[in-house]
Amino acid sequence: MTASTAEPASKVELPASVGGGGEIPTFDVTLRVRRYNPEVSDESHWDEFKLTMYGTDRVLDALHKVKWELDGSLSFRRSCAHGVCGSDAMRINGRNRLACKTLLKDLDTSKPITVEPIKGLPVEKDLIVDMEPFFQSYREIMPFLVTTGHAPTKERLQSPEDRERFDDTTKCILCAACTSSCPVFWTDGQYFGPAAIVNAHRFIFDSRDDAGDMRLEILNDKEGVWRCRTIFNCSEACPRGIQVTKAISEVKQAVLARQF
Amino acid sequence: MQVHKYDVVIVGAGGAGMRAAIESGQRARTAVLTKLYPTRSHTGAAQGGMCAALANVEEDNWEWHTFDTVKGGDYLVDQDAAEVMAKEAIDAVLDLEKMGLPFNRTPEGRIDQRRFGGHTRDHGKAPVRRACYAADRTGHMILQTLYQNCVKHNVEFYNEYYVLDLLVVEEDAVREDGTPYKQKRVAGVVSYDLASGEIHIFQAKAIIFATGGAGKVFKTTSNAHTLTGDGMGIAFRRGIPLEDMEFFQFHPTGLAGLGILLSEAARGEGAILRNSEGERFMERYAPTIKDLAPRDIVARSMANEVREGRGAGPNKDYVLLDLTHLEPAHIDAKLPDITEFARTYLGVEPYTEPVPVYPTAHYAMGGIPTNIKGEVLQDNDTVIPGLYAAGEVACVSVHGSNRLGTNSLLDINVFGKRSGINAAEYAKTADFVELPEDPSAETIAMLDVVRTGTGTERVAAIRSDLQETMDANMQVFRTAESITTALGDITKLRERYRNISIQDKGKRFNLDLLEAVELGFLLDLAEAMTVAALHRKESRGGHYREDFPDRDDANWMKHTMLYKDPTAETEGIKGIRFGTKRVVFTRYEPMERKY
Amino acid sequence: MSTTPDIRFPRSTSETGRVSPKYTRHGSGAKGGFEMAAWLFMRLSGIVLVVLIFGHLFVNLMVGHGVHAIDFGFVAGKWANPFWQWWDLAMLWLAMLHGANGVRTIINDYADRDSLRFWLLVVLYAAATAIIILGTLVIFTFDPCPVINGVHTGADFCPKP
Repeated sequence: MTASTAEPASKVELPASVGGGGEIPTFDVTLRVRRYNPEVSDESHWDEFKLTMYGTDRVLDALHKVKWELDGSLSFRRSCAHGVCGSDAMRINGRNRLACKTLLKDLDTSKPITVEPIKGLPVEKDLIVDMEPFFQSYREIMPFLVTTGHAPTKERLQSPEDRERFDDTTKCILCAACTSSCPVFWTDGQYFGPAAIVNAHRFIFDSRDDAGDMRLEILNDKEGVWRCRTIFNCSEACPRGIQVTKAISEVKQAVLARQF
Repeated sequence: MQVHKYDVVIVGAGGAGMRAAIESGQRARTAVLTKLYPTRSHTGAAQGGMCAALANVEEDNWEWHTFDTVKGGDYLVDQDAAEVMAKEAIDAVLDLEKMGLPFNRTPEGRIDQRRFGGHTRDHGKAPVRRACYAADRTGHMILQTLYQNCVKHNVEFYNEYYVLDLLVVEEDAVREDGTPYKQKRVAGVVSYDLASGEIHIFQAKAIIFATGGAGKVFKTTSNAHTLTGDGMGIAFRRGIPLEDMEFFQFHPTGLAGLGILLSEAARGEGAILRNSEGERFMERYAPTIKDLAPRDIVARSMANEVREGRGAGPNKDYVLLDLTHLEPAHIDAKLPDITEFARTYLGVEPYTEPVPVYPTAHYAMGGIPTNIKGEVLQDNDTVIPGLYAAGEVACVSVHGSNRLGTNSLLDINVFGKRSGINAAEYAKTADFVELPEDPSAETIAMLDVVRTGTGTERVAAIRSDLQETMDANMQVFRTAESITTALGDITKLRERYRNISIQDKGKRFNLDLLEAVELGFLLDLAEAMTVAALHRKESRGGHYREDFPDRDDANWMKHTMLYKDPTAETEGIKGIRFGTKRVVFTRYEPMERKY
Repeated sequence: MSTTPDIRFPRSTSETGRVSPKYTRHGSGAKGGFEMAAWLFMRLSGIVLVVLIFGHLFVNLMVGHGVHAIDFGFVAGKWANPFWQWWDLAMLWLAMLHGANGVRTIINDYADRDSLRFWLLVVLYAAATAIIILGTLVIFTFDPCPVINGVHTGADFCPKP
């Protein structure tokens, strides 16, 4: 605890507006969902659903309403429903978002809200894509701490500054919003993609790690960091606010610094 | 149908499952089955920290931690298990650090620690800084670090394989005193590949259940949509008892109306609770440690404020978490994620406005009974060889009637590791148990019933009615009347469940079918919880009976054991048999729980 | 289970459940050195080109009579000086390589079929090579007063026989 936390007052006057207050309004939205089920047809199509939703509802709530009340065959992944598990990345109005972190009221509800699977990965059914290629790239950059020498009996020491150096990239939840927002990845599935590089960054810049060179070697590949065109789609897509493009640039610089 | 053979099969890839996999994967051929992807597990939603008496920032020792755990659990904790956990906590944290977990650091470079509810210095004298943390995403870091190490050790994952059945066989055996009994043994699990709709049988010498909790029986919950108590449900249906199911923890600070968790770390860092009059009401309920009292006490105090008309908001149905006296820079450094939740979901700016909060269903203290080695018990003391459980699905019991904050992250690491090692060692010496004839028959029959059902009921409607009644009648305040109401509702819902139909008839990613199966488990568990709650006529920890407001050590200092038994009848419910189990005491005698 | 026909194992991919070839890297990493060099070249050549091009424009457009002075004789005069020959040669090579490499990355990024990508690259490389060779020849073999079959065909400032 810092000095900032002097004992707070036992009683304070609260302004009347506290808690946002007021009735939560309802509104109507149209949801346009891209459907695909290879058991029925090889073609995908759009389905429209008209829904009445509440003020704090998210796109995920709208999808649930469809699944639970209108069409049980609509398939999508979701779990925690508050943006920490990374299951429900999808393209909402053309942008990669987590359905559980996108409030309907923040979208233009006068027009239909389009929901599609993320691009660049094979669609399996409706909004579900095959995540294996994505995790394959992740696994290839050695996403684990590698150390040499004897482990200390207690913890390894690390200064708060060294810890801060890679803090941003530890936030990654592997939702694939960044990688599937990258036009390079759309045409070249072999590109490692932003997420893999972000996770490499997390270890390359960890002062405790000794395998930075090997990761830089892996990413100094035809399909590695040099594929990045610095268009910032990934940074814009990241639901965790990670500066993805910055992280990729730092890895590029590290590769160069190692060569010269 | 395909059959796979492994030495060890782990069901569930959250914290406990992956911690076990790291140990087991290095010792025996191991497969991990999960109905999600490993990094989607709800361990990742844990925020505040993981307690261990490292004494990095102030004097501390594991014996105090044991005491806090025992007292926090209102003395229903098995003290031998609590000792193991508090003692091994230190290594558990150091293990994680060595695996790469980026803990926050002190200026000297050691792991930083902060205060947390119920954790005190010298047996309750004052709050102590014991929780090791990584900002307010400690669980996220643990989950990622464990997955990273599974990748490092090449652990085999079967992602999106939903385990539906445990293959149990019974053998005649004789106890030491000469009485005959049926010894259960496990042969494997039956799983359903969500992607293809095919059945896969996994035959294994040892099986670890690490399937997590069942928070979705409640409407307002911090739990993920996928936490439907599958593991507990499967075990229960297979005749394995469930222990202490009446104890469910309600976390005090869920975002009002949504249930999304705001970590106790907020209060650890100095945030306080206020009612509509602006009063810091916890000063009345727990004069010594105030807002850092254990969760059951804070949650009840909050509910009481609302009940007595001092709730805030237009409907006076929540209280306020006040961070406005903290420096914004301090909030950003220590609590970045939860302040973002408040902004994203409620549009409230925590720097300047208090955040609406209300208790949210959070954690099942009860579960599949195990001993301190992680071995599952088929009754009070008979081990089922080769079957292990760890994490929220298990009941060791280290949490007793109320879990202390951070102790769940500790539980998954300590007992995950123990189960992983013990399962692998067991598999080295044991043989496969022969699979029963046509092992998947029951599972396929169950799926066919659901898939081809032509009833008129919708799964979602039944589930939401179940959650409504559980929220209304089984929350922080319970009475015989409210519990009976819930039981009546559940019985009706079970009737309706027999009459469901689903719309998706396909094989590929049939999540409609999945939700229907999950609802079956939810109904079973909701019934177990309510029956147990009706049975326990006292108030203790997370279970508060207004008709029996006091703790009654003379009659109720014991664990509840529930068995599925078609011939039995308890509390008017057919098919459930009650047992009790002794609480293990080592050094602490029960005393009044005051903070 | 019996009502629907068997479908193929859906893990994108193949019967083995591994990742489909479309996503599998076969690179040895050896080409990575080239990609890094190309990335670095683009930045460095860009800086040099800024100097070369603005120097070129300044000399041609601003100095003396400026743009009005440009004619055949002006160019001939410049290329009589080896300094300007090398200046323009550097400009030609760097601009062509810089531009060609830029188009190469665009083709790599946006051509989704392998055969299309191959032929676009062939055209690109052929065009770039041709222009570089021709340009180099012109710069170094440029003679303002050539004698062809004994006939003087140069400009009017050429020495008359």
